[in-house]
Amino acid sequence: MPQIKTILGIESSCDDTAAAVLRVVDGDASILANVVVGQTELHSAFGGVVPEIAARAHVEKLDVAVEQALSQSELALADVDAIAVTRGPGLIGGVVAGVMVAKGLAQATGVPLYGINHLAGHALTPRLTDAVPFPYLMLLVSGGHCQFLCVHDAMTFTRLGGTIDDAPGEAFDKVARLIGLAQPGGPSIERAAMQSETPKRFRFPRPLLDRPGCDMSFSGLKTAVLRARDQIMTKNGGLTALDQADLAAEFQRAVVDVLAEKTKRAMQAFENLTGQTGALCVAGGVAANQAIRHSLMQVADTCGVPFVAPPIALCTDNAAMIAWAGFEQMPYRAPDDMSLSALPRMPLDRASAPMLGSGKKGAKA
Amino acid sequence: MAEHILAFDTSGPYCAAALLRGDEVLATTVEDMARGQAERLMDLLNETLAAHDLAWRDLTALGVGVGPGNFTGIRISVAAARGLAMGLGIPAVGVSTFEASLEDSQNTALALPAPRDSFYVQVFQDGVAAAAAQHLPALPDSSQARILSPKPGDLVTNIARCALARHATNPGAPKPLYVKAPDAAPAKEAGPKILT
Repeated sequence: MPQIKTILGIESSCDDTAAAVLRVVDGDASILANVVVGQTELHSAFGGVVPEIAARAHVEKLDVAVEQALSQSELALADVDAIAVTRGPGLIGGVVAGVMVAKGLAQATGVPLYGINHLAGHALTPRLTDAVPFPYLMLLVSGGHCQFLCVHDAMTFTRLGGTIDDAPGEAFDKVARLIGLAQPGGPSIERAAMQSETPKRFRFPRPLLDRPGCDMSFSGLKTAVLRARDQIMTKNGGLTALDQADLAAEFQRAVVDVLAEKTKRAMQAFENLTGQTGALCVAGGVAANQAIRHSLMQVADTCGVPFVAPPIALCTDNAAMIAWAGFEQMPYRAPDDMSLSALPRMPLDRASAPMLGSGKKGAKA
Repeated sequence: MAEHILAFDTSGPYCAAALLRGDEVLATTVEDMARGQAERLMDLLNETLAAHDLAWRDLTALGVGVGPGNFTGIRISVAAARGLAMGLGIPAVGVSTFEASLEDSQNTALALPAPRDSFYVQVFQDGVAAAAAQHLPALPDSSQARILSPKPGDLVTNIARCALARHATNPGAPKPLYVKAPDAAPAKEAGPKILT
């Protein structure tokens, strides 16, 4: 008899309401449904995700997303063996809504409930898509996060470094706004950069490259773009499409350079820690950027390790990764009870010193 | 067979539950807490059912307080109710504090104190809402509105009674009654001028 597990995943930590059904037969996973209901239009007027607006949307969309995921899978709730839900880190209003819906479903059906760290979802995705063996190096790079993780097993992660201020996705959004490109900033900057004709017109800093270690900083880069923009504006009264393209291109190059160099150092740190080489994996929305992907692939090539970038739909926020993380962690931990709490701050690596957020609230991520 | 209704409300600084068997109130429980409702709610409901030898499968419908009140508190209960309703295959009836405080077929305005001396107000005709609830910075002197100060135990019991009355009328999924728009200002900074 094959061993079959069907897991319902629920994710609502930022501005995507997501539900997924994963079926694992003798360790082989297939995603039966991966529903993601975005909220981009709801937030577009505000220049960023508004937590209260996000929370309001999640609470009325979560059960609908679960229904959709089940019906796409042609399954009923009774076929589900476990429920995995993001319990943090993230925007607390949305996370609470997800956790409460999951508790309601688990209580009603008697199915075990697993609270999952959102970052573990991203970090374990390469095993869902490519069966990457432990240990491996994960660069998690998104709108809210940027860190290098050594993934030892389904439960153990060491943070090797990360951003000390903005996440790159955040920087892409802010820079897009500064130079008059549409949100979300990632795709529009990538598109504009392709139109650039004078690659050496600007030179923005590559923050922290002169320091050892694999920590990063992106906030100063944003200021450099602002200064260059203001110079052009003062001179010409506005930006041409070519100005936008050149600014976008140099900004993107700076991000690529920083990520590539820091990735090399992270690979060294990974080897020092584990005494072996491992695959270089990438996840998070920024991993959708082709320039970044390409340069990371080259880094992996140079070092002779495999490069794994899951398909975009599994790189950005989704619930299939939460269901998968639930499956991976099940053998090593007990299910959560009905007192499971939602956590705005939830570092994946509790041993390393916090980089973002401190004081009595503790580390953010 | 008697209908069993379980209602809960976390729209204020408490976790409240009420259990009905038909018209009979089997239990009303209120636990005061400024925070921690999300962690406590489900166990409180389990304990309430167990104390009367009932299981979740014995329930006919759920009642849930949708506010107005603490936004996070309302969402905790509404999200839990939606998950439970889907899992149990029974209706969850969203009941506002106004609806739960209405007496018979009144023509009346009801006012519920809100933060910073403001009020949530809704007008009812013949026991039915005549317009959407409003948030007023203050009640006008001429206002005839009845000012509510429901005790959490009475409120949750009335929510259960409303759910008993309405569960068979296809009530639709419960939605929070925020009254106030989200606190968010549109992005101030205009983008740069684009030259063509």
